Amino acid sequence: MQQEVAHFPHLAIFSLNEQVVTVEFGNAISDSCMQEVGRLHRLLHQTPFPGFLDTVPAYATLSVFFDPAAVIASGELKGNNSFERVASFVRKLHSSGQQPATAETTVVNMPICYGGKYGPDLEELAQLHQLSPDELVRLHCNATYRVAMIGFVPGFAYLAGMDVALETPRKQVPRQVVPAGSVGIAGRQTGIYPLETPGGWQLVGRTPLGMFNAAKPQPSLLKMGDTIRFQPISSLEFEKIYADKDH
Amino acid sequence: MRIKIINPGILSTIQDQGRFGYLSQAVPVSGAMDKLAAQVANAAVGNNAGDAVIEFTYAGASFTAETDVLIAYSGSGGTFICNNRLVPAGRPVFIPAGRSVQLMNDPSCRRIFLAITGGWKVPPVLGSRSTYLPAALGGYQGRRLKAGDILESEGECTEISRKILRRFSGTRLNYPGWHIARQQFVNGRANRIRVIASREYDWFKESSLRTFLSKPYVIGLRSNRMGYFLDGPVLEKLQPGELLSTAVTPGTIQVSNDGTPVLLMADCQTTGGYPRIAAVASIDLSFCGQLYPGDTIYFTLISRREAEILYLERQKSLDQLRASVEYKFS
Repeated sequence: MQQEVAHFPHLAIFSLNEQVVTVEFGNAISDSCMQEVGRLHRLLHQTPFPGFLDTVPAYATLSVFFDPAAVIASGELKGNNSFERVASFVRKLHSSGQQPATAETTVVNMPICYGGKYGPDLEELAQLHQLSPDELVRLHCNATYRVAMIGFVPGFAYLAGMDVALETPRKQVPRQVVPAGSVGIAGRQTGIYPLETPGGWQLVGRTPLGMFNAAKPQPSLLKMGDTIRFQPISSLEFEKIYADKDH
Repeated sequence: MRIKIINPGILSTIQDQGRFGYLSQAVPVSGAMDKLAAQVANAAVGNNAGDAVIEFTYAGASFTAETDVLIAYSGSGGTFICNNRLVPAGRPVFIPAGRSVQLMNDPSCRRIFLAITGGWKVPPVLGSRSTYLPAALGGYQGRRLKAGDILESEGECTEISRKILRRFSGTRLNYPGWHIARQQFVNGRANRIRVIASREYDWFKESSLRTFLSKPYVIGLRSNRMGYFLDGPVLEKLQPGELLSTAVTPGTIQVSNDGTPVLLMADCQTTGGYPRIAAVASIDLSFCGQLYPGDTIYFTLISRREAEILYLERQKSLDQLRASVEYKFS
């Protein structure tokens, strides 16, 4: 059966189900895709259409959630069905050249305690890549990262920008419990576990910062597009910052 | 109004129609597994569709009315009893203070949704009262209900709720002769789940697509509020290919690397990296919320437009339902 797909210059719009359309900017990780996703994401939240519910930004796609009944009831949107109406609104917004009011992205310096009980896979990874543990830490914290997307569990940031020399597959057997704040490597990405969950990423360190707090207006510490720098800290410093944070 | 949980059963949580506004921070939609049943229960006591309900999983749960209460429930298979008297589903039921109410031991009991006048009183977290257990978010202190928990209703309620309460208040168990059957809003054929082709539908071999749309799939043991692993013939891709992580939503059917389809449910992640073969049409998602391990289902392909029309028709009949409850008490 043919899917409904609306093709426009540089972007395809398709339906995920009857209440979600996905705008596709490409099919690879690139800075330009991430910027386009971020721009449309912010524009939609600033100028939503009737029936708009939310968006899921990912590496190269932005998915737009809506209530079809409200979209159909609106006299403002043009089209025979909710897909046409939302797709046409999104296309116009995209091609308007409009920029979101603020860039909103921030630079976050994150303290990380590498190795030991905080990064139980560090030694093994260093051996695998024929590096000393110190060299591995240097490679990992000298890079500047960008939050490519938030997914998996609330506040989990996928960071792009890791040195390719550190590329490592996931663990064969995932851990049942990964402590909150753990920094892991999977493939070419590095990421931070906001909550204690099971997980298969190779753990190199841990941050004492709280990554997700539902009591805050912006619950996730990191958001898509943010720039991240890691700062190595000692276990003493880790325990001090950890003890001071409001749980 | 106030109740005390005596026995929470296997899993009982506070849920509503779901959480939107924080998907970009990977906070899942959550909400009732059977959003239709939650709406029917709310409509029966004159509540708004989005008011909080208790979701009971399987039989065995019980509670005591600590004050006079007006409740309604809907779902699949379960029946409440109070002092050996049947508490009928799909209608407002007045229960005087002090009575105990229990979800009768019945193997056909699936998920049952209990509404109270005004909705259950828990603080909204990130715009919703739904519980998301993995992050201890929302609902009753972010957790499942335990024996001894005291649950109250919101102080405010609708005009229609007040009228229903006035009509049935008294010293005995009391309810009207009419009822709302959840079944009247389910127009499909039992166990035939209507799906829409998803983005990676054509990543699969023609033979695998035929298999997917004709062979039975059984809800696996690894099933919970996040999703169901489906036991049945494996599905093969035309060529190996990796999907860049992208959005998924309740109803999305992903195919894992070993070819097993996984049907994502209320608490699913916001993004996933497995190819999405299809998405359950909203009209049949509530039916899926009532499945449990061992149940057999089949998939049937419909177009996105058909799914939209079915969704709009259901929304219209739910609006009419609320109007007709109002009419009974005007």
